[in-house]
Amino acid sequence: MKKNPENYRNVFFILFKHLTLVICLLISSFLGEADAASTIKIGEINPLSGKFAQQGIEIHQGVEVALAEANEAGGIGGQRLELISRDDQSLPDVAISRAEELCGKIQVIAITGGYVDSLVGPISEVARKYKIPYVASASLQKELVMNKNPYFFRVSRLQGFVEPLCGALAEQFHPERLAIIHASTPGSTELARDLEACLQSRGITVALMEKFRPGTPDFTPLIGKLASMNIDVIISGGFTPDHMLLIRQLKENRVSPKAYIGPFGIAYESFMQAMGDDAEYLFSTSAWAPEFTLPGTEKTSDAFVQRFRRMFNRQPNTTNMHGYTSAQALIGAIREVVNRHMPLTGDNIRRMLSEIDMALPMERLVFDLQGDPKHYNHVVVQIRKGKIEAVYPPQRATATAIYPMPGWDQRK
Amino acid sequence: MWTTALISGISLGSFYTLIALGFALIYGVTRNFNLAHGELLVLAGYAAYWLWKTWTIPFLMTFPAAVIVMLVACFVLQRLFSRLGEPRELNSIVLSFGIVILLQNAMLFLFSSDYRLIRVPAFGKGLFLFDAYISNSQLILLLLSLVVIGLISLLMNRTYLGKALRATIQDKEAAALAGIHVKAMGTIAFSLGAVLIGLAGPLYGATHYLYPSTGHSVTLLAITITIFAGVGRMRGVILAGWILGLAESVAVILLGASWREMVGAVLLISFLFFKPHGILGKGEQ
Repeated sequence: MKKNPENYRNVFFILFKHLTLVICLLISSFLGEADAASTIKIGEINPLSGKFAQQGIEIHQGVEVALAEANEAGGIGGQRLELISRDDQSLPDVAISRAEELCGKIQVIAITGGYVDSLVGPISEVARKYKIPYVASASLQKELVMNKNPYFFRVSRLQGFVEPLCGALAEQFHPERLAIIHASTPGSTELARDLEACLQSRGITVALMEKFRPGTPDFTPLIGKLASMNIDVIISGGFTPDHMLLIRQLKENRVSPKAYIGPFGIAYESFMQAMGDDAEYLFSTSAWAPEFTLPGTEKTSDAFVQRFRRMFNRQPNTTNMHGYTSAQALIGAIREVVNRHMPLTGDNIRRMLSEIDMALPMERLVFDLQGDPKHYNHVVVQIRKGKIEAVYPPQRATATAIYPMPGWDQRK
Repeated sequence: MWTTALISGISLGSFYTLIALGFALIYGVTRNFNLAHGELLVLAGYAAYWLWKTWTIPFLMTFPAAVIVMLVACFVLQRLFSRLGEPRELNSIVLSFGIVILLQNAMLFLFSSDYRLIRVPAFGKGLFLFDAYISNSQLILLLLSLVVIGLISLLMNRTYLGKALRATIQDKEAAALAGIHVKAMGTIAFSLGAVLIGLAGPLYGATHYLYPSTGHSVTLLAITITIFAGVGRMRGVILAGWILGLAESVAVILLGASWREMVGAVLLISFLFFKPHGILGKGEQ
């Protein structure tokens, strides 16, 4: 080969190009490490799309508020908290792959978020495999805490719905013919069964117990059945869209129960806006609302509401608070690990979670040995003039229940 | 209770028919298996909702707007489908599945993840018909569906265009040999489908609810009824819708609400087994 200056120039140019690339890679990896060293990575999996997108997005917003609050206060031990969010698309198999990615590839130190047991359950198993603590934001099924998964915690429990509902029905409503209709999901089915057992123990017989698929397109035949049985109180364990259809069809068919109680998906501003006046007098349950926070947590609750409004330009709801509470549990546990100068490992965070005792707006957060919250309790609420009023238990009531609900014909 | 079930079954069945007709027509003429049918219907509902909510346009006036939106959407869809090669059914499933994801995310972005309702005050009232109470929403669903079904039946059976469409459904090649412009039939099928979806969408928003991912259940319903009816059998679609609506209503009364979908599934399997060519099929090959 001839010693051509052109060849030398080409070789030099290629070498220069490669060298530049290597330098760039080295710099970026140094920067990455530096960044990784200064942040604590917390994973979050929620249904941000698909059929549970609304609730998933709300939980995500609550988690974001908790992290923003912690970071604004200087982080933990000088380190910022970094939230790594993933969308499970409301699908269990996607939830598993997202959890694998967060735990195995990204190596977050803990996970939070999650809505409904069918999505939370698979995530909890991946967390167990990687020995990474998972604090679920919204989960009810008892089976999940019976698996003896030491890395699984949650901020909600089924009894938190059952006890206030049972109490209100037995002490305030005294129904003559009560029907429980529920969605064919694990949480809703368990709620219906536990509530029936509780009511029976207090002398109330359930006249009709029916199961339906969430998203049923027509409730008219079921309404005909309820009317023919002279049902006076309906407890509906469906979700927001089921309530929308059922209530609308109750009105269309002029069936006016003394009380319509929907524990899930009614006490929300979005529901009230969509339903308009038809939402008036409906009963539901709620763990928290800006109007009624756990006594003694008024300041924290107000601070949460203010920050949430600044960040999202709207009023927060109980689902947002579930996300906030689960993230606060993790932040509290991580802070405790750092304060005690312990290595930030999954096992240490898990240990701190099991010792946690925090007064949060939604509940006094203490986990039992199975990871269930000991003090998670809803209040029974009623929608009045577009606002949510607590009506039971009496010590937390902000108004007296209007019972029976005015019939459709008696309303303006 | 039985009268309620009967009225509810026929009213719901008529609406099922309205939902399925567009799908059956497009599939019958073009052999494009449009999985995005439900998403388009929900999109039409959202268009009506947006007009009703933002511009306080009366509910009835939202129908023409929803139809126009669907005509544009179906025109784009047809252009996309026309680029597909064989096997057409399979390729159209893949393409329309992509469109489903795109539309769902677009609706999530545009209309958020809140459930939306179109509130029509007149729907909350009703009237007694031979001692049976029928709500206005049931009556409107029934009447509008019957009018549309009647018009489609007239078009398909009494006009040259209808005959050409039916000929294309039965045998594309033979129709082309007979001088029918098969490509134009495809465009007409998409346009008619768009009108049907545009009419069903606002009704869906006013009698059910709108949510970005509810479309899949609508698509599933349309597919089920098309299978019941037999591909390309418009009269079969009507009968299939009514049978399904009535069977579901009776199942709730007799067996309980949890049996509703089971009865639909059993019906579908039975029809596939005993009447594979559809409810009005005569067992031709």
